[in-house]
Amino acid sequence: MLPAGSLNNRRGVASTRMAKAATLSQAEIERFVERAKRGDRRAFGRLVDEYKDKIYSYVSRMLGDPYEAEDVTQEAFVRAYRSLPRFRGAASFHTWLYRIAGNLAIDVVRRRKRNDVSAFSLDEPLESDDGEYEREIADDTGGPEDATGTRETQLAVRRAIMDLPEKLRDVMILYELQGETYEDIAEILDVPLGTVKSRLFNARNQLKERLQSLVEAGEIEVEQ
Amino acid sequence: MTCVEVRENLVICWGDADELSAEVLAHLAECEACRLEAMLLRETRIMLRSLPDEQAPVGLTEGVLARLADEEAQVGLPGRVAAWFVPQDQPAWARAAAVGVALALAVAGGSVLYHGQQPAGNEPETVVATTQGQVPGQAEYDELLLRHRALEASQALADDPGVTLVTYYR
Ligand SMILES: [Zn+2]
Repeated sequence: MLPAGSLNNRRGVASTRMAKAATLSQAEIERFVERAKRGDRRAFGRLVDEYKDKIYSYVSRMLGDPYEAEDVTQEAFVRAYRSLPRFRGAASFHTWLYRIAGNLAIDVVRRRKRNDVSAFSLDEPLESDDGEYEREIADDTGGPEDATGTRETQLAVRRAIMDLPEKLRDVMILYELQGETYEDIAEILDVPLGTVKSRLFNARNQLKERLQSLVEAGEIEVEQ
Repeated sequence: MTCVEVRENLVICWGDADELSAEVLAHLAECEACRLEAMLLRETRIMLRSLPDEQAPVGLTEGVLARLADEEAQVGLPGRVAAWFVPQDQPAWARAAAVGVALALAVAGGSVLYHGQQPAGNEPETVVATTQGQVPGQAEYDELLLRHRALEASQALADDPGVTLVTYYR
């Protein structure tokens, strides 16, 4: 199995920027959750504002389709609101949200499989000039480590992530791109910590192989 | 150290030399194949980090809130009422009564499906009320119920986001 040391290391850049978006303190979050539980939709709106980027980017990366991701994200928050009375606070609110969104995203993935729909709508959204992805790629919020890859590389990476088996994809996205901890991922996916680590290990290996074959074929370049 | 062991170490730190032990580094100095492997991992990490951040589309919060307002104005109430009134730490009669109230509201609301199943032995009785504003077909209903049951079996009082429902035990 894995060596004793953890798979610990620096996170993807996305995670540091993701963290920046958080503006509410833990106490505020708890207060808004309590108010939302009692039916205060404005309080819930504050929670949506707090977590929408996180949840949207997770779903979008799971699905590889910005339009579908928007629907799923919205649905996830609606369901979260409905389920709030049963949220006991045993899990943290954000892992609970992730879990709801993740279940919905997996449903979409499975439905696609049944209908044999291509998992990644690369062509249309990405190549249209008014598309969401245009906005998303251009939406560079600054910082020294911000998106540096070429468009081709980014596309290839997205595609390679989409090609991972869904269990590996989930862990890869949550850890490397969303910046979640092993402990939180274990809670989100309801699997033991060791499973998170071994999936991450396999995901890295597989991603490396997929991207490497593209580099060797000259289809993408690595920017150092 | 074997190449296999070295490669496990490499994956764990994305081939970053700063995080490798002296033993691994010594192996890399001797083994070209493992050096190549380390380079591939570093390249992979660079590519992964080339992905930009993703931000939720403008208007997402407003969209969510509008849907919630719509639902509550129409049929959402029974489901939420039921959920409010059925904390697991309440006595069984209170839970059953709350379910009754919720179902009465559901029937009054007219567009909330509910479904009760007679418990066999000590099995939980499950009542499902969706607040989708439309009555799901039998197949969808069965799927929701199955999913809830599976979750319920896997952990105590799982939150199944797939459906608003009420479960109580006789
Ligand atoms: Zn070697």
